[in-house]
Formats: sequence, structure tokens, C-alpha cells
Amino acid sequence: MDTFIQSIVSGILTGSLYAMIGVGLTVIFGVMRIINMAHGDMVMLGMYGAFLAPTFLRIDPFLSIVIWIPIAFIVGVLLYRFLLKNIVPAGELNTLLYTAGLSLFIANLVLLIGTGDYRTIKLKYAIMPLRPFGIAVPIPLAIAFGMAILITVALYWFLVRTDTGRAIRATSQEPEAAALMGVNVDRMAIITFALGTALACGAGVLLAPSLYLYPTVGEILVAKCFVIVVLGGLGSVPGAIAGGLLLGLVESLGAVYVSVPYKDAIGFVIFLLVLLFRPSGLFGVGKS
Amino acid sequence: MKKVVIPLAIILLMTAPWIVSGPFFVHLMIMVLMWTVLGASWNILGGFTGQVSFGHSTFLGAGAYTTMILYLNLGVAPWYGIPIGGLVAALIALPIGFICFRLRGPYFALSTLAVAEIIRLVALNWESLTNGPVGLLITTLPEVTFWGRSIDWESKTPFYYIIAVIALAAIVATYIMSRTRLGAYLLAIREDIDSAEAIGINTVQARVAALSLSAFFAGVAGGFYAMYLRYIDPDAVFSIALSVEMVFIAVVGGLTTVAGPLIGAIVLVTFGETFRELFLVGHLIFYGLMMMIVIRYLPEGIWGKLRLWFGTRP
Repeated sequence: MDTFIQSIVSGILTGSLYAMIGVGLTVIFGVMRIINMAHGDMVMLGMYGAFLAPTFLRIDPFLSIVIWIPIAFIVGVLLYRFLLKNIVPAGELNTLLYTAGLSLFIANLVLLIGTGDYRTIKLKYAIMPLRPFGIAVPIPLAIAFGMAILITVALYWFLVRTDTGRAIRATSQEPEAAALMGVNVDRMAIITFALGTALACGAGVLLAPSLYLYPTVGEILVAKCFVIVVLGGLGSVPGAIAGGLLLGLVESLGAVYVSVPYKDAIGFVIFLLVLLFRPSGLFGVGKS
Repeated sequence: MKKVVIPLAIILLMTAPWIVSGPFFVHLMIMVLMWTVLGASWNILGGFTGQVSFGHSTFLGAGAYTTMILYLNLGVAPWYGIPIGGLVAALIALPIGFICFRLRGPYFALSTLAVAEIIRLVALNWESLTNGPVGLLITTLPEVTFWGRSIDWESKTPFYYIIAVIALAAIVATYIMSRTRLGAYLLAIREDIDSAEAIGINTVQARVAALSLSAFFAGVAGGFYAMYLRYIDPDAVFSIALSVEMVFIAVVGGLTTVAGPLIGAIVLVTFGETFRELFLVGHLIFYGLMMMIVIRYLPEGIWGKLRLWFGTRP
């Protein structure tokens, strides 16, 4: 029973970060129909940002998120404005290939500048895990969990309550109708892409102390992102949150009750089953 | 013009090791030709059929492991092992095709990515068959005599001729396929899958056929890869990066053209391998850059564009 509760807890902790990455990917897809293969590399850049923070900025890796999120937002604006904007009209497959090129470019640039070594971030205050009710909770994951929830709630509030958020959701549902209602669809696209990039980068900062970082970590992460967003239905924000938590749970329960080596495969098997039998996502809210 | 260019190209292909010398150049030409085969393989599915796969490393890996395991465990010589590796890859393609072709466009691409990851994890953990993450290593290749002389496997030249023949076969197969009824079906599917279905083409069967043919060549190239490098492990032959490289070579060279993969491989692999010699890491940076430039400015690919200038057929 203890192992069960333990794996549920760690599943939810990791799942919250998966959800944050997935939300970024899903809003980008919803508004622009971009399947962003470079999303995982944005997470990777965030991880390196956190890694560099103590040396270059002299601040705690987690605190550096307040610097990296705005920077990632600006990078997102520039990427969309100068690179992706002209590609999007050429169709989903061309954008897929283009962002795959972008992904390879970013990962190899990091490989060239730094090295391919595996790195970890050591936090002085996080050596021993917390033990509330006898369940081990690693401190870095607990902090990341708290911040991920804060950011996701803030984003949700933004999308539901503000005018810009409403305009983004309208564009996602029906771009032409939104344009006719006076929504500046182009601007919404820029904002959404920048938001998605910022979320990915922020999630990277939060994930960094709990994972190994290396330049091609994005490859694996982007594959997981797709599992998450397809589980919840492509384009659906609540779906991506649920999908992220679900993948976290599946992985941690799978590691305990199925097998550790195959824990990553379970997610992909579920992904294939969902794609084949429920293409609009488990909760039937997304668009296929 | 074609009557002159094609024989000239074949003569050049067969005499190249005498014209340029030095192990690096021979290695470079071997890599170019191996990637031509892989690009041609991907082009059959991605170019002629319009189905973007991000999981072709599955077939490369299947071929590589089949050839390697047959040689190490049963003593089957590589020249039988390599074609058998291709056939095994083509067989594996059948169930994958019947599952993934229920999906279209980007969803198909994502499903192939998932299948490839599952297979990579299986190869990593099925230790009794694949030796897991440690990989498989061969030290010696069997003794062969060719026209009375025994072949020196330590030199790269024999490998060059083997891969040259395979590359020629892949290009010829692409050409023949594009002229058959199947080729016409595939183009119809690429242009508009619903119309293709409406005029009575069994689109699932045609796509599975294209996938099998494509997988066969990827498997053969995989078998060659295993014998040439003499070492494979799951992350080397089943990685997502390999699948992505195949996509890039086919797209940069020119989709739906017979010679496109060769041009793509010449441009990308030459730069990539030279870069690797100089900097050791990050040789794929140019792949990413070229991909972005090609999609933006040359959607028909380098060879596709040149072909338009010359005004010749594929």
C-alpha cells in the first residue's frame, strides 16, 4: 500500500511538469496548427538556463525562472515572426518538417557550444527528501510541482478571464469567425507561440534539478509531449493538463507494477491505442 | 543527354576508388552511398506516397540486428545476412503499416515515432537476443576469394563496391516502381487520398506495399551498416535522430525524384562527415539549417529545382 501511495505521489509530481510542457504544445497547435517538433528543445534550453544560473547570474536555479520566462517569450516572438510565420500557410506537414529542422539545429548548436556531457544540478538544500506521512518527496520535485501549479493556474486564468485569452481561444476554435469578430488573428498567433515557448522553457527550468541534462534531451521530451497532448486531445488545454498527470501516473505506476525498463514504452503504447481508437483524445474534447 | 549522363555516372561510381584516394575519402563515399540508400528508402514512402514517417530507424535497426545476429549466432555470412535483414525489415513493416496507416498526415508521422520508440526500448531490454545496451560486436569477417584473390576486409574498398551496388539497386528500384501501376497508385494517394479511394484504389494495401519496399532497402542499408562499422547497439541503430536524418536527405535532395536522395546525400553527408572530422560533435547542425532553407525557399528540393532548370524528366 505504501509503495502504491508513493508512486501515486511521485507520478503526480512529475505529471504536473509534463502537463506544463503539454499545455505549451497544445495551445500552439490549437491556434496555428503547428506540430512543433522543436518544443522539446525549448525545454532543453530552459534546463540549461537553470544549470547556468548559479554560475552566471549567481541565483538559485529555481529563481532563475523569473528571468528565463520573459526571455523565452521574446525568443518565441522572434522565432514566430522571422521563421515560422512564412511556413505555416504551407501546411501541417511542411511545418512539421521545418520545426524538425529547427530542433536539430538548436540541439546541435548547444552540442557545439557546450559539450555532449551529462550534467546534473546539485542543490545544497535538497539532498534529503521530505517525509510527510512516511512518503518520500524529493525537495526539487516538490518545489517544481508548486511552481508548475502556480504557472498553470495563472495561464488558465489568463485564457479564461482576460480579453486576450478569450481571443486566443476563439482563434483556436474558429480562426475565420474570430477574424470576422475583429480578433487580430496574426497577433494572437504570435502571442500564443511565445506563450507556448515560455511555458516549455519554464518547465525546463523546473525540471532541470530532477533530470540529467544533455543537448539531445529534447528528442525524448518532445515524444512525451505528443503522448500527453494526444491523450488529452490535440488543442485542448484541460486535456493536456489531464494528459500530463496521466502520463506521470502511468510511468510511475508502470515502473512499480509492470517493469522499470519498459515504463517509457507503456506511455507510447497508450498513445498508439488512443490515436487509433479515440483520435479526439481520451476526454473527447480536442479536435482530430 | 540522359543517354550520356547515366552510363557516365555509373562508370564514375565504379571507378571512384581509383580516382580519389585516402581512407577518409573512401569512407566519405561509402557514407554518401549508404545514406543514398536510406534516403531512397524514405523517399519511396515519404516522397512518392506522401506519408511522412519519423520511424524509419526501426527498419534500419531490424536489418542491422538480423544480419549481426545471423552472423554471430548461426554463422550466416553477411552477403546472405544483408538481404535477409532487408526481408525481415519488410516483414516487420507489414503489421506496422496495417496499424499506422489507419492514421493520416501528421498523426501518421507521430504514430511511427511512437512505434520506433517502443521498438528501441524492446531492443534495449531484450538482452537474450540483442545483448541489450552493450551492443553486438564482430571482430572478423569471413574469408572470401574473388577472382582468385582473397578480399581484404581491413581496406574500405570492398565495402565501397558492396554499397555502390546496393545504392544502384535502390535507385533502379525507385525508377521501376515509379513506372509501374503501383507507382501511379502511390502518386494518386499522395495527391488526394480520398479521391484515390473513390476511384477504387485499395489505399491501405498500396501504402503497405510502399512501406515494405521502403523498409526492405532501409533494412539492407542497416545490414551493411552493421558489417561496415562491426558494432551496433540499440541507441546507435534505433535512434530518432537516424530517422530524422533519412527524412532530411530525401527532402533536401528532392521528394518524388529518382536521383534526389543521391543529391541530398552528397550535399548533407559530405558536409556532415567533414564537420565531424573537424569538430567531432554537432555535425547535424547543417542538416537542420539546410532543412529550414529548403522548406522555406526550395520546397521541391535541390534536385527537383535543378531538374526544372534542365527541363528533363525524373
